[in-house]
Amino acid sequence: MKVGDVFSYAFGAIRLRKLRAGLTTLGVVIGIAAIVALLSISQGLQVTITDQLQSGFATDTLIVSPGSGGGMFSGVGGGIGGSGSDFSLMVTDTQLINEIEGVVTSAAIIQEVGYIKSGDRTVQAYVVGVDFEVYSEVYGSTFVAESGEILLNPEAGTVVVVVVVGKRVSDPWQNGTIVCGVNGSVEIVWTNTTVRPAENKTYAVTVAAVLEEIGGLSLTGPSDSAVYIPISQAQSFFGTDECDRIVVKIANEDDATIEAVSDAIEEAFSGQVSVRSSTAVLNTISSVFSTIELFLAGIAAISLLVAGVGIMNIMIVSLMERTREIGILKALGMKSRTVLAIFISEAVIVGLLGATFGIGLGWVLANVAATIFTGGGIAVATGQGAVSGAFAITPILTPTLLMGAFGFGIAVSVIFAIYPAWRASKLKPVEALRYE
Amino acid sequence: MVLAKPIVETADLKKTYILGKVPVNALRGVNLKVEKGDFLAILGPSGSGKSTLLNMIGALDKPTEGKVFIDGVDVSTLNDNQLADLRRSIGFVFQFFNLIPRLNAIGNVELPMAVSGLGKNERRKHAEELLETVGLKERMKHKPAELSGGERQRVAIARALANNPGFLLMDEPTGNIDSKTAREIMGLVKRLNEDEGVTIIMITHDQQLATQATRIVKMLDGSIIKEIDQL
Repeated sequence: MKVGDVFSYAFGAIRLRKLRAGLTTLGVVIGIAAIVALLSISQGLQVTITDQLQSGFATDTLIVSPGSGGGMFSGVGGGIGGSGSDFSLMVTDTQLINEIEGVVTSAAIIQEVGYIKSGDRTVQAYVVGVDFEVYSEVYGSTFVAESGEILLNPEAGTVVVVVVVGKRVSDPWQNGTIVCGVNGSVEIVWTNTTVRPAENKTYAVTVAAVLEEIGGLSLTGPSDSAVYIPISQAQSFFGTDECDRIVVKIANEDDATIEAVSDAIEEAFSGQVSVRSSTAVLNTISSVFSTIELFLAGIAAISLLVAGVGIMNIMIVSLMERTREIGILKALGMKSRTVLAIFISEAVIVGLLGATFGIGLGWVLANVAATIFTGGGIAVATGQGAVSGAFAITPILTPTLLMGAFGFGIAVSVIFAIYPAWRASKLKPVEALRYE
Repeated sequence: MVLAKPIVETADLKKTYILGKVPVNALRGVNLKVEKGDFLAILGPSGSGKSTLLNMIGALDKPTEGKVFIDGVDVSTLNDNQLADLRRSIGFVFQFFNLIPRLNAIGNVELPMAVSGLGKNERRKHAEELLETVGLKERMKHKPAELSGGERQRVAIARALANNPGFLLMDEPTGNIDSKTAREIMGLVKRLNEDEGVTIIMITHDQQLATQATRIVKMLDGSIIKEIDQL
């Protein structure tokens, strides 16, 4: 029997039982839609987050933080960093790092969470002490003023301390309500919890510049949610010479340089520091996402397996109903393998329809979900619940996902049809004809 | 005159079924020869083993002992695929028509040709000719449910002829239709045998019907008890 005839015979059999075939197909549709929706959203989310991170990242930087085996989020917030030893990184340690081969320059960072007060408005922000000159060299593309001017050596000859503020600090509600603009006078309030009783310290400053919007989550680099003050001012304000981390600009961003410089830095501090590259952080995030995707795919696959069991169930019932028909076909000289092919073809048709509609439905669901998320604004905390940023997720349907979903839908349908089809093909003609 | 090989031959054919735990000897050594152009009626009451014999001759079932030769080929030596090929050279007509309900008349007639791998146009043309032969050309777009018993059996006969079989194997072809239509069907069968030279093996329990045949074999309790040559 010709392949086309096998398919048209199978299609005729499916058309005869529209409702049943429709419900069987629906199972596949739901399974495939779940896979496509979950994976296209998570891939979209990954791309969004990676993009956001990259926009705040400089890939030619390393982050040095105290403690061996420090966590990847030892940057902003400073909360999860590796600790557990008495070792502290000092602001002056940059001198040691700068001597290492492959290092261009390095900037010490002191960071605390504080408030910006302007009149009766208060905004929570990171208060970050850096050397403006070095910092702007390290983050040349992101530590850029939108208005005003970042004075590279602000304390020289000035009486009033000037600061640089991030876009989200200046305009926290993103609606033009400016809390602090260029040349505005604001107060930085920081609560020193290391003394008893805790003591509020206030620091009057003038805004010299507002940074361009960086966007993104900025785990290590300049942030929209930070106020930058000169490092020497930070040292006296926070009363410390210790820094939270040192960001190192390296000459070359290839893996060999990253590794060599990382090792040299660790060695210089006798293994008391941990060195992370931005690239490594990105890789970690992408591997976390791979795990999440695998997990989601697994959940969705279960629903498809359930659909497969449904297909098998329906085909066995249909096999019983069609025993006599199979007997007739065999009496007409149909080979067992053709009977097998007819049943498999029915499964292929169900799988094909299910996968096609499933991919369509999944894509629609993914877009609907993304719109809801984006409209509502997924708040992604960038640290201590202080400041959040909403961003848009665009679901991504990669060719791999498309083909994978298609292939998986058909494969599941066919695999679960093999047993009923095999049973159908093995029916003895005389017994099948006698079947009532 | 050189005698051609018999189209069907059975040699000491035996078939034993196990019904529950009791063995039932459906066939107890049947020797039968059918020559090309024969119209043979196998006559016997129900339980005489005639249906079992038909299944053996139609290569639908395997004998317990003895041999079946179709066109000189020992059926017991064939594998599943070869048996399927062999069945294409046999035209089955069943008591309950056994048409595929979802296919219309012409679709049913085309089916054996599709199974044989014939192209669409070719089989459509041949199916139309066959339906014309059985007098159903106007009703070829009708589904079995829209046809009378007699019409259905005509479709079944047209289908049986589709692959130009070596012989037609008919199992009580008029057993399920009224007597007037039955006479018409028998007329058609006789015409096929006399005019077209189609070899026919028909089993029936109806003495009257059997007289239409050129040869009658009477069966009882799994054995042939009498052979009548009516020529």
